Amino acid sequence: MKRKMIRGNILAYAVLVIISIIWLFPFVGLVLQSFRGEYGGMVNYLIPKQFSLDNYKFLFGPDCKFVRWYLNTLVIAVFVAIITTVVVICVSYALSRMRFKGRKLLMNSWLVLGMFPGFLTMICLYFLLKLLGLTQEGAVPGLILISVASSGMGYYVCKGYFDTIPKSLDEAAIIDGASRAQILWKMTIPLSKPIIIYTALVAFMAPWCDYIFASYVAFGFSDSYNVAVAMTRWVWTNDYQGYFTRFCAGGILVAIPVTALFMALQKYYVEGVTGGAVKG
Amino acid sequence: MKKTLALVLALVMVFALVACTGTKTETPVADEPKADAPVADAPVADEPVADEPVADEPVAAGDQTIKIWVADAIVDFTKEQAAAWQAANPEFASFTIQVEAVGEGDAAGNVTTDVEGAADIFGFAQDQLSRIVSAGALVELSEENAAIVKAENDAGSVAAATMGDTVYAYPLTSDNGYFLYYDKSVVTDPSTLEGIIEACKAAGKNFYMEINSGWYQPAFFFGNGCTLTYETNDAGKYTACNVDYASEKGVAALKTMIDLANSGAFVNGSSVGNATNAAAIVDGTWDASAAKELFGENYACAKLPTFNVNGTPVQMSGFGGFKLLGVKPQTDEAKLAACDSLALFLSSGDVQLARFKAVGWGPSNIAAKADEAVQADEALTALGQQLAFTVPQGQYPGDYWTKATALGDSVIAGEYNNADDAALLAALQQFQDDCISYAK
Amino acid sequence: MGKKKGRGIGAAFVTLWEDIKDIFTTFKEGDWKTRLSFLIMGFGELMRGQFARGLALLGIQTAANLFIVKFGWQYLKDFTTLGTVETHKVNRVTQYGDNSFFILLYSLLTIVVIALLILAWRINVRDNRNCQRKLSAGEKLPTNRRDLHSLLDEHFDKTLLALPMLGIFVFTVLPIIFMVCIAFTNYDVDHQPPAKLFTWVGLQNFKELFGIGTGGNFGSTFFSVLGWTLIWAFFATFLTYFLGMAVAILINKKGLKLKKLWRTILVMTIAVPQFVSLLYVGKMFAVDGIVNAYLMQWGWISAPIPFWTNATLARIMIIVINLWIGIPYTMLIVTGLLMNIPSELYESARIDGANAFQMFRKITLPYMLFVTGPFLLTQFIGNLNNFNVIFLLNQGNPKSMGLSNGAGATDLLITWLYKMTINDSNYKIAAVIGIMVFLVTAIISLVVYNAMPSIKDEEGFQ
Repeated sequence: MKRKMIRGNILAYAVLVIISIIWLFPFVGLVLQSFRGEYGGMVNYLIPKQFSLDNYKFLFGPDCKFVRWYLNTLVIAVFVAIITTVVVICVSYALSRMRFKGRKLLMNSWLVLGMFPGFLTMICLYFLLKLLGLTQEGAVPGLILISVASSGMGYYVCKGYFDTIPKSLDEAAIIDGASRAQILWKMTIPLSKPIIIYTALVAFMAPWCDYIFASYVAFGFSDSYNVAVAMTRWVWTNDYQGYFTRFCAGGILVAIPVTALFMALQKYYVEGVTGGAVKG
Repeated sequence: MKKTLALVLALVMVFALVACTGTKTETPVADEPKADAPVADAPVADEPVADEPVADEPVAAGDQTIKIWVADAIVDFTKEQAAAWQAANPEFASFTIQVEAVGEGDAAGNVTTDVEGAADIFGFAQDQLSRIVSAGALVELSEENAAIVKAENDAGSVAAATMGDTVYAYPLTSDNGYFLYYDKSVVTDPSTLEGIIEACKAAGKNFYMEINSGWYQPAFFFGNGCTLTYETNDAGKYTACNVDYASEKGVAALKTMIDLANSGAFVNGSSVGNATNAAAIVDGTWDASAAKELFGENYACAKLPTFNVNGTPVQMSGFGGFKLLGVKPQTDEAKLAACDSLALFLSSGDVQLARFKAVGWGPSNIAAKADEAVQADEALTALGQQLAFTVPQGQYPGDYWTKATALGDSVIAGEYNNADDAALLAALQQFQDDCISYAK
Repeated sequence: MGKKKGRGIGAAFVTLWEDIKDIFTTFKEGDWKTRLSFLIMGFGELMRGQFARGLALLGIQTAANLFIVKFGWQYLKDFTTLGTVETHKVNRVTQYGDNSFFILLYSLLTIVVIALLILAWRINVRDNRNCQRKLSAGEKLPTNRRDLHSLLDEHFDKTLLALPMLGIFVFTVLPIIFMVCIAFTNYDVDHQPPAKLFTWVGLQNFKELFGIGTGGNFGSTFFSVLGWTLIWAFFATFLTYFLGMAVAILINKKGLKLKKLWRTILVMTIAVPQFVSLLYVGKMFAVDGIVNAYLMQWGWISAPIPFWTNATLARIMIIVINLWIGIPYTMLIVTGLLMNIPSELYESARIDGANAFQMFRKITLPYMLFVTGPFLLTQFIGNLNNFNVIFLLNQGNPKSMGLSNGAGATDLLITWLYKMTINDSNYKIAAVIGIMVFLVTAIISLVVYNAMPSIKDEEGFQ
């Protein structure tokens, strides 16, 4: 029995090591490429022939607005994270704890609305934003507005989590004379740390990947680009020869803080997602 | 049952929002100065006080900015030249000029999305012309400027800027053609395709050519004597298509492509930056510096090779393409005049030559082309040799490029590997029919 | 109130009829304050001392009227034609005419405002009736303080939902209505505002799509893309799910060390932005990419594997790379859930002599499926519309002569639509296809969603 267990464990370790290699390989490749000294695009070997910091120097040099793009993205991410969290908590609490006419209808229709191919409406959103002066120069607040405007539809996971908090707690508080607002503020929110962190974390991560819509809104005004818009140009258009290693370096700089944050809050992420996601 | 007051509040907010936006659009001009920096803004907005009395001078006073979109490589160059233009033309001194890096491919898409938000002057590759014209995002050249453009630039570039009989853009370069970059140490004789492939194979390296692109494919088809051209009218519409791909000549060209794809030393691609193991690559002048980096001291260029059709060598042909500069429709006469003047200046022979010296873009201007420096450039020389066999790229609908990619992808994926001549002819017939259907 | 949910069109008409009757009764039986409120919203409330409500209603009416008069009307009046004044040029200076796009968009906005105004008016009428009834029954009206306080208590849901609903309405619902309208216009490459007008064409686009109008092999392409979309969504969802579960169970294995490390390694794929990781992974598998280079160097293969240029291989690659993204996510969820399964269940099963696989099949799997049902559904729908993976990896290529309208072998409906709108400006057809895709997914998911056990007894959990 014991030997069988040990053999099983060795096998498990072997599988896990293989999995880890597969999962880490692209990241190792990215990091190594970012330090590559040789000129050029993609290469077919992993270890650079010469190491250098030139790619990073370029990003922070005078010829590149990388810092600007980075800050743009950071500002968007922070605001989106904060506002989205507030909105999602509000919506989730209302849908989980209150019973009102049209509640089911509302939930169903939001579920359905989420399925409409979003980019079909991109041109419409662009002109709505333009009406408010939030394109090109104003693309950063514009992107924040669009991201948070519909964030209420992402109530799913959070509502599921609220559903698991016993209703009897609420009832007891109501008997004690607390208003709903007080219950939300003083009881539900303190009990929901994981889901709040989860919501904020997911919202924070999304803007770093926003390419399609961001490029649509900020076009022709490079001061408003976010990192994804600015950097995908380097690999997708012919105008930027030899930018591939710079792209890798920029990618690493984007990945580090997001990954670090994610790792630090991983515990809450798991609690949040398992507490809520699965329950709809 | 008690009142739905919250809902009411929500509605108030809807209306507040909507009402704000409503008043905003009412006064577009007054909106311009940003609320953030009123102090800094004041001196820039030239005549804030004089705004009201000059009622009969329309929007002119409001829009004094000329936005320019060009490829990243020439942003700084364009800024310098625009300053030089302003210095030479004091009557336009009041205009502020903004230059942004917007890729030639992106420019067309962005311009068609929102003409109003687009740049006043923008650079683009000629294959986008009809798309931009049909979106109404280009203003035709004035008669004087059209005459100058026609007189000073090579015939191909003028044709590239023309739809029907109307000239819509200013030629910038005539170096959008392709030829062969190769590694001297690997490929000793670049004159035949078969020879290049053999040499690459022997060295374990690859020959790169983007045969799934409608731009590179004509190297085979046109080389073997096929034609594919479109006729256009002034509105940017395609009226007719002349094509004979579905023929013996076409089948022979297609077979060459299939053989190439299966040669074992072929990679589909045309960008030095993405080529990891290249000994030879069919590419254009824009990659010259990257190719020099890649091949080092073994760097060499040549015209395209020949390929073998039933024992006779056939010279590869191809497109000679052009970069253009366009002016978008203007609602203000003064600004239109300024844009016309600036675009003409930026595409003039002197500036083209200066641009060549700064970033190596080959001129379309006849005088600039004759300059010694241009004549001495290695890549441009190869292009020049190839030019004798190429066809100036006219106008092609977007669907053509898509279809050509489909044909190329099918070749690369091996869909025709076991096909006989009849099957190949049928495939080309379908290709030809589709091409004809795009001109309705 | 215990009102029965009105289902069906008949019931809706009955409700509407009763509503209209109620409005008339209110007017007939109303006092002058109530009657004047029909014209000036909130008048009755103000006269009866309910300033909070009165001002809110009056504010709405003023703002809405202002909006309609100052902004909305100029567009709404052209709604039927979408503009008649063509853009023209005078001495090369462009004079823009009507902009069909703005006319349609802002007309819809105005119609929405009008609808909301009517709704507010109806609330205003009902409120007046109720107040009057209460007063005549000798009851006291709620004070302003009470009204405002109720917004934090029994009407807290309205406070909470007001702003989110507004946002969703303006930035999600309105654009969708707009795109649905586009399906009934001729908005395409030849009719692009501001240079050209577009106008209503009725069902023309639908006919064109189904009929002979389009030519080529549009129909077969459509079904080919649809088929791949479904295959993709199925594999992307369920392969990821089961493999993710397997990895989670593996890591959870008793006696295994470094659990946290293994998880952390996997989870990195969630954290690193996809536009970085996927672009790199895509290039890794190019014909001349690093994977082929090493495989050839090691002598495993003699010619490079055409990962992206062969249609079948490209499809497999996309599903495999999606596993790379998806497994960590499933693993995280399953890990959390595994701990929730009562260990007594396993104990008693072990006593009964069940082996590990049987325990998984009889205990773990049913539990997981029950609990993760909604999650699976959202994943499936998400994958139907999974734009990023396809677009960042290979843009839907390779294309083929067998497919029309620019579709590629790995194109999902959504990426195909994207190409149509962005590259070809063919908004009208994109809108038509968009609507059909939307209808199919919406109906399927609504039915499945509401049939799910964990949704049906929503209250059971609380």
